[in-house]
Amino acid sequence: MSNPILDPTGRAVDAREPGVSLLAPRRPDLTGLRIGVLENTKKNADLLLTELSRLLVTVHGAAGVTLHRTKQQFAAPAPPELIEEYAGGCDVVVTGVGDCGSCSASAVADGVLFEQAGLPAAVVCSDAFAATADTMATLRGATGYRYLTTPHPVAVLSPDQVRERAARLADDVAALLTGPLR
Amino acid sequence: MTAGPDAPTDPDPDLAAAAVERCYEQGWTDGLPVVPASRALVDRFLATTALGPETEIGRLPQLDRVVTVELAAINAVMAGCLPEYFPVVLAAWEALMAERAAGGGGWQSTSGPAPLIVVNGPVRSELGLNATGGVFGPGFRPNATVARTIGLIVRNVYGIHPHALEQATQGLPGRWQICIAENEEESPWEPLAAEAGLAAGTSAVSATLLRTSEFVDNRHTGSAEQLLADFADTLSRTGAWIFRNASAGIVFCPEHAQQLATAGFGRAEVRAWLAERCGRSVADLARAGKDGLDGMVRFADGTRADGFDPLLRGPERENLLLAVAGARNAGISMVVRLFSDWSGTAVPVRGGAA
Repeated sequence: MSNPILDPTGRAVDAREPGVSLLAPRRPDLTGLRIGVLENTKKNADLLLTELSRLLVTVHGAAGVTLHRTKQQFAAPAPPELIEEYAGGCDVVVTGVGDCGSCSASAVADGVLFEQAGLPAAVVCSDAFAATADTMATLRGATGYRYLTTPHPVAVLSPDQVRERAARLADDVAALLTGPLR
Repeated sequence: MTAGPDAPTDPDPDLAAAAVERCYEQGWTDGLPVVPASRALVDRFLATTALGPETEIGRLPQLDRVVTVELAAINAVMAGCLPEYFPVVLAAWEALMAERAAGGGGWQSTSGPAPLIVVNGPVRSELGLNATGGVFGPGFRPNATVARTIGLIVRNVYGIHPHALEQATQGLPGRWQICIAENEEESPWEPLAAEAGLAAGTSAVSATLLRTSEFVDNRHTGSAEQLLADFADTLSRTGAWIFRNASAGIVFCPEHAQQLATAGFGRAEVRAWLAERCGRSVADLARAGKDGLDGMVRFADGTRADGFDPLLRGPERENLLLAVAGARNAGISMVVRLFSDWSGTAVPVRGGAA
């Protein structure tokens, strides 16, 4: 009689379909597009994203920031009503900063949710959290999902240092939001 | 001494080792060997609870993972539990689920928090849970394996593995090993679970998440106030302080608890005394870059007038967990650092199949 070792993960019955995510279509450039900002309460996240979105407007021709919200629970993915609000109120999203174990993973989860709602998204994470961000992308059926990293640490930077980080990231953010996809 | 046909067969150590290795290959262990779970053994665990195997007892929406009673039983087997421990595992898990951080990002956190599990009531002696000498371990099967089960569930069912979804910067020693029974017999106070509102004599589990634990050795004074001042100093160090206030706990040894009780201190009086005095001057906090108070997280401000910032939000139970455990042989107690809030609840141990 067969007497197998039981699987403690439960994943055999709970496997997700891989590759179900579909990234949002990209425009060739940001001209005239409305920007949505979603910051996650981590230290310096709001300033970094505010500065980034300002550069997307002044340098890359976006129309302006039409949504700027704070995600109250940084460990959890954005709730559906928040995703819906962005889908109705802007054309592209900048979000982050993934700067802790749970919020870096959930920032990537948010990026995938925005893409699935038709919004090109640029997720910014500290480079110390790439492993957990990548793992979350795979869990969400989006292995290889592209996001942007900035050198760790972020929380201890001065306002001027944060602005400098934003300046260094802005071109890459614009490129990620306008494609090509992968 | 010849073995007759009715003599029990010695288990085959090579077969056992091969089964253990199979579990390693699957990534199912915390680094130590696990007991490979068979259907028959898991069924014996399931027979100790009235809950059905498919009952959902935990969920992490961000990872799309669900813990069922069956999966908890498999991991309890693997951790080395006996079937009769399983109701304690379920109560410990339920108590942890009442912790905000355990349903959010706590298990993934850079702080790598450890569950603190405190058991009260007759189940302590029924199962042989250690409440006295060396209570923080090791050496006692139920203490060691109940705590380890929680870690295996987080790893195997939630899929939170170190270096991937688990981002502990250093973690802490004994992360999945802190299950203590309260030393009710030598405590001058009511059991922790009774303080939480359960009838005295109820077997129950309280739990929260810790960032570390650190000893206070005071065999130096007969004064309750001097003793509490020693605790206040350890509790008030700036390194453990992140937000406006912080929560903590003390696992008193019987000697310290009795010394306080003799001087008229109940749990409430201890908390009130410490809530008033634990804290630091603004100048001390400024030296550590933690004086700023505008947002949720403290920051380096440097502009505040000097004053005193209390550590605890107030004298309520949730801000300072107090338990009694250990041997009565020395004045050595443990300050514990709570990861976030404590729910202040105790969960009864419910046995018995339906």
